Amino acid sequence: MKLVIGGYSQGKIEFAKEKFELAEDCIFDAALPTKEEIEKIGDRKFAIDNLNKWIRKRIKEGGRAEEEIISFVKKNPSCIIICDEIGNGIVPADPFERVYRERTGRMLIDIAKEADEVWRVICGIGQKIK
Amino acid sequence: MVVLYIGGSGSGKSGAAENCICKLAQGKSKYYIATMRSNEEDEESIKRIERHRFLRRDKGFITIEKPTSVEEAVKEMDLKEKHVLLECVSNLTANEMFFGNEIREKKETVERVLNAVKALKDNTDNLVIVTNNVFEDGNSYDSYTISYLDALGEINREISKMADEIYECVAGIEIKIK
Repeated sequence: MKLVIGGYSQGKIEFAKEKFELAEDCIFDAALPTKEEIEKIGDRKFAIDNLNKWIRKRIKEGGRAEEEIISFVKKNPSCIIICDEIGNGIVPADPFERVYRERTGRMLIDIAKEADEVWRVICGIGQKIK
Repeated sequence: MVVLYIGGSGSGKSGAAENCICKLAQGKSKYYIATMRSNEEDEESIKRIERHRFLRRDKGFITIEKPTSVEEAVKEMDLKEKHVLLECVSNLTANEMFFGNEIREKKETVERVLNAVKALKDNTDNLVIVTNNVFEDGNSYDSYTISYLDALGEINREISKMADEIYECVAGIEIKIK
C-alpha cells in the first residue's frame, strides 16, 4: 500500500495519477470501494482520494473509521491512499473539529506504518518520506 | 545535547520525542516537564493528560508539572544526570501569554519562554523539546491568536538555533531537518 499526504490543493491526485499510472475510473473520491467495484478494476491499480473527507463522514456517522480503514488496507495491499494533512494549525474551537483532526492524524500514523511507501506532496512535488 | 521535535496534531511527535530522550538517557531516569494545565472541569484536557501519562508509563519518567516558568523545574531535579523532555512549547507559550483575564505582550512572552528554555539547556545534560506546527491552516484569526502565532513562530526559530538536531514528524515518520 502507498500513502500520499500533503496540504490542501498541493497536487496530490495529479502526482499520484502520474506516478502510479492511475486511470480515472480507478479513483474513488472520499469512499472505500465495494468488493464489486474492486473486482471491476481487475488487476489495475486503484486509489482512494480525499480520505480525510471519508474519515469526517464516518466519524459523523459514529463509525469505527480506524478499524475500517486498517482492515481495508490490509485486505488491499496494492491500493493507494491519498489524504490531506490537516493537523498543522491552531487547535479548533469546535469540539468535533478537534476530534476529527486528532483522529485523522492518528489514523495516518497507523496507515503509514502499514504502507510500503509514503509520499508527501508540496507544490505538486512528491518527496518520498518512507 | 538539545533536540527539537515539531509536528502537527496527531503527527506522532510526542512518541518520537519520548523515544529520543530514552535513547539519550541510556536507561537512566528522565524528567518530563508537563506544561498542560490540568483543569478539573475540562474533561478533554484531563483525557489528553491521561493519554500521555499512559503512553509514557514504564518508560522511567519523573513528571514535573510546570504550566509556566519551566526553568523552576530544575530546582526539583535531584538526580545527578539530568535528561529532560519538555512537552510542549506551544502550550507553554499559550500559558505564558494568556493567564486569567490578562494577556502578556508578544515580546515579553517570547523573552520569558526563551529565557526559560535557555536555563533548561544550561542546567541539563540532554534536553528534548516538543513544539507544534500550528502555522498552516490558512485561517484568519483575531489579533490575540495572531500575536500568539507570531510569538510561537519566533520562539520555534530561536530554539531551532539552539538545537543540535531537529526532526519534523509527519504521519509518525521522523524527517531530519537539522
